[in-house]
Amino acid sequence: MKKSLWERISETRAGYLMVAPTLAFLLIFQYYPAVSGLYRSMFDWNAGLAGNFIGLSNFVELFTDDDVFIRSLKNMALLTIWYLIAFVGLSTGVAVLIHRIRHERSKYFFRLFMILPVIIPAVVLILLWKFIYDSTIGPLNTILIGVGLQDWTHAWLAEPKIAIYAIMFRNFPWIDGVSVLILLAGLQAIPVEIVESGLLDGASGWRRLRYIELPLITGQIKLLVVLTIMWGVQEYSAVWAMTQGGPIDSTQVPGMWMYFNAFRISRMGYASAIGVVMFLITLVATILNMRYIRSQEY
Amino acid sequence: MERRGDSATAIAGGPAQSRAGRLHRGDAWRTTALGILCALMIAPLIMAVIISLKSPSQFTRVPFLPTWPLRWENYEFAVQIISQFLLNSIITSGATVIGVLLLSSLAAYSFAQIRFPGRTFVFYAVLALMMVPASLTLVPSFVLIRDLRLINTYWSLILPWIAGGQIIGILILRAFFESLPGEMFDACRIDGASDWQIYWHVALPLTRSMLGVVAVLNILGTWNNLIWPTLTLPERKMWPLTPGLYSYMEQYYTSYGRVMAGLLLGSIPLVILFVFTSRLFVEGLTSGAIKT
Repeated sequence: MKKSLWERISETRAGYLMVAPTLAFLLIFQYYPAVSGLYRSMFDWNAGLAGNFIGLSNFVELFTDDDVFIRSLKNMALLTIWYLIAFVGLSTGVAVLIHRIRHERSKYFFRLFMILPVIIPAVVLILLWKFIYDSTIGPLNTILIGVGLQDWTHAWLAEPKIAIYAIMFRNFPWIDGVSVLILLAGLQAIPVEIVESGLLDGASGWRRLRYIELPLITGQIKLLVVLTIMWGVQEYSAVWAMTQGGPIDSTQVPGMWMYFNAFRISRMGYASAIGVVMFLITLVATILNMRYIRSQEY
Repeated sequence: MERRGDSATAIAGGPAQSRAGRLHRGDAWRTTALGILCALMIAPLIMAVIISLKSPSQFTRVPFLPTWPLRWENYEFAVQIISQFLLNSIITSGATVIGVLLLSSLAAYSFAQIRFPGRTFVFYAVLALMMVPASLTLVPSFVLIRDLRLINTYWSLILPWIAGGQIIGILILRAFFESLPGEMFDACRIDGASDWQIYWHVALPLTRSMLGVVAVLNILGTWNNLIWPTLTLPERKMWPLTPGLYSYMEQYYTSYGRVMAGLLLGSIPLVILFVFTSRLFVEGLTSGAIKT
């Protein structure tokens, strides 16, 4: 005999009670701000005022009348492409190198070492690099002068044409510990038999990498690509801490521009519109990626 | 003839030997390449250590090589300022991680083991938030915190961080609770245990290491949050360590020794956390890969 809905609900009321606190938190601090952000992006809204509904004017202004925003999108694309090369490309290389080391102890040591960029707080690395780039006392210029390349010295974070590249190339040699660990886990999961039979067929070195290992860690690589794109679109704490978007907006990224509009000149509706654009970019990127992954599997 | 004999013994020598011989060649150049990379990675930190032991005049004379006497007083100076920030971090990240573990384990248990009507819908409502980036909610969250009159309280960090942090916690713990044998829970129910008792006495003790993974991930996330605290906490003395280190460097920028000492001291807490939880740490960081 089938129980009625009310009976089932009352039997499992503990389930609802257990989910209730989570839902309360999510509704107040996640869903409400998200909906409010979408809604307020259509307002001319200052903090403290009710604001006027202006339809899509904020978005029109963003794309037709805001050179800084367009530049911030270009910077975002540049940085994201760079993060893909550095975080995914370079990390794959490092993971394969570590994976192929025969000596167990040194293998363990290098794997442990890759945690270093994770346990040093990100802000410490950013601030150390801000110091390294310092035009008068920074080690980078000191080294350049020391080896006789005075002409190459720059005020790295203060010259509009150079600052964005300085931000890009921070944290040299750009190893991302988390990516390396994820890729290593993938490499270690490859059955030895597969690699061995490949070796018997004469696949070694590059061919082993190209035809055996890379195809078997595409899952991990795709995951990292998605995460890196989402991160690259959102991230602005490095810009915030190193240049605040300057000099003359040359290092502006969408997140920083949103921050500036909301909290420096109090254009909160306009800032919400920037947030919506960033949301849509990540959404499209993720959907495309999921589509791509799915079509690969079938 | 001889060559044939050799290859015959090589095959007879078994796969273990040939694996060691052929799978891994060229350790020397790999170790060198990785060694150079590691040296470059650690170079800024070594620079920081050297500078942190200098007085301003020592720095002016010899900026990047060690000088004696070592000025340990830079650390004494930094400790006085950093310790307040550290305390703020421990309070806010600590309260957040407790809240996240409690809420996400309860919800995850419910999603995994109790078949309440509407459960799939609610679960997808939680999952959908994975797609909502912080950039969309930054401005409205700030206005919300202001309207709730939480500006300049630790709650302005703790409450939103619990809300955001529990999502990934629910995903990890739900997968774990579902992997536990259902018969075990049924047996408990037949013995008359309520779901609350099963959660507390059976499910939670079994999931201790997964709770550790969630905790480490959550602490890393809140610990490194730079910008949000500067918005909701107008008083700098309430800032957690990450924005605190930023303001410390702004304030004392030209006393390089003190700045570097502060940055290094500020790095220690996570290193300590790592030393005690290294296994959970690695598991947590690579747990993202499980999803694929």
